[in-house]
Amino acid sequence: MMQQQEKLSAFMDGEAEDDKIIDAIKHDAELQAKWQRYHVIRGTMRKEASVAPEMDITASIAAALADEPAIVAPKESRWRSIPIIGNVVPFATQSGQFAVAASVALAVILGVQHLNQPAPSQPFMTAPTAGPQGGLAPVSLEQTRTLPRNDMNEVLEKKRKINALIADHEQQIKLKQVQAEEEEKASDDTNRP
Amino acid sequence: MRCNQFVLLITGALSIFTPLCVHAQSSDSSLPTSLEPNNQAKGATESATESESKTDTVKQTEPALERETNALQTPVQWLQRLQSLISSANYQVSFVQTTVGKETVPYLWRHGVLDDGTEVEHLNLQNGPGRELIRVDGIVSVFEPDTQPYSIRSRFINGPIPNILLHNPQKLLESYEFVLVGRARVAGRPAQQIRIVSRDNTRFGYQLWLDEESGMLLKLNMLDLQGALLEQIQISTFSVTASPSPYFARINPSSLPEPIMMASSQSRAHGWEVNYLPVGMQEVKRDTRRLALTGQVVEYKMYSDGLVDVSVYVQPIEDALGGDIALRNEVSTFLTLKAGKAQVTVLGEIPLQTAKAIATSISAVNNSND
Repeated sequence: MMQQQEKLSAFMDGEAEDDKIIDAIKHDAELQAKWQRYHVIRGTMRKEASVAPEMDITASIAAALADEPAIVAPKESRWRSIPIIGNVVPFATQSGQFAVAASVALAVILGVQHLNQPAPSQPFMTAPTAGPQGGLAPVSLEQTRTLPRNDMNEVLEKKRKINALIADHEQQIKLKQVQAEEEEKASDDTNRP
Repeated sequence: MRCNQFVLLITGALSIFTPLCVHAQSSDSSLPTSLEPNNQAKGATESATESESKTDTVKQTEPALERETNALQTPVQWLQRLQSLISSANYQVSFVQTTVGKETVPYLWRHGVLDDGTEVEHLNLQNGPGRELIRVDGIVSVFEPDTQPYSIRSRFINGPIPNILLHNPQKLLESYEFVLVGRARVAGRPAQQIRIVSRDNTRFGYQLWLDEESGMLLKLNMLDLQGALLEQIQISTFSVTASPSPYFARINPSSLPEPIMMASSQSRAHGWEVNYLPVGMQEVKRDTRRLALTGQVVEYKMYSDGLVDVSVYVQPIEDALGGDIALRNEVSTFLTLKAGKAQVTVLGEIPLQTAKAIATSISAVNNSND
């Protein structure tokens, strides 16, 4: 599989040695999906895409989130104990597919960030090459690396909560319009002879 | 490896959250006093002249002469002309949308009325894998990459141009004042400029340019209270034709997905009320539910003046952010404040001071559910 991926990516860059990969893509749904994802990523890197591609990448993440009981469907007991909820509509029944489609754009930021937490330290590895001219002491390197990491989780958690609210707001705007339509339609129907 | 590129992409996406200010004011005394008198002027027709003087800081000085020569037609008549064109003509429009800090996004927009009277509309995002919306009368089908196509019941496509401006401009008169500014040249055509300013100067303003010959929208700017550009829609080319675009002949309505039924929201008493709202804003929705991404329970109210929607969330403090934060997400303002045992969050395309006035006006109400 890994080999196939390498081939796929080489093929995308126009460097494939053989055309077996074309057949492989045709018959393998997973490869097809990868093919599309690679294109979206490349499109985004080249700044060709704006909103839609985020949707594209995230649909799979959203699906994964939907399977994650801890996030989407919190345990009943915990929610019962909080005073402000009496009987809240479970998320799953709220608006189904539409809800997911509307909220995925921001989900990606959360999902991937958690996976790549150590990444911020990487760019500093290039610093020593500038050593001869500048005064970049290794000590300062250590400091910049350790300080932000202490509250990293807290910052991520905050971001997650902010994103949840923003995604919800955007979804509500979409739903509002549709609901207004349905109400109007219902009253139209009753008014008609 | 490819995954490295992905990381880059994500860090880019994160940078859209630019902190405006992070402060720790939550006392009621911090409510901007200048906003209060406007609230009382609600509904009164005099408020038009009253706010006229107030909004002078936003508007550039208005040449009275020019206003008189154009008094043949009122701005409302211009917008009604746009409205009838939008709903009854066959047209094809190319436009771009530019938002502060974002790439320009090009769209293609078509509309037609078929021989049997069916109204058809099509909006296509032109860059990248695209996004396509097709409306056949009251059903809008959405085609997005990697998402199952779905349909919703709606008589408008929810695109970058505010629907209320195109389809129901009269509804905005309670909240906004329309001013005919004068003639200008846009997209190579003589145009009429109209300015839309909120009556109490608490919301962002708009400028729009309409084609003198056809009445079509040529340009739409969204400005903050200082007059800086937030978002712009610019039409590059358009054509109004006698018969609908041949594109519509290729749509087979029976092959479009069935519309999704929306679960109706239950209403339930909340233990709080918002006491300050900008002129013309009304509550359009309230419920209690969970956020899709975190599963947190929120009490929710939505307010709207037709053009701008504002969401207000109240959560128990232990679930919430636990601090006072103000952010700008593209053109939306995100403001969250601690209020005793609750966290109040206001979100919408409104200036920060208006969001703050709304958030700090919330007070607890006694009802039997407590």
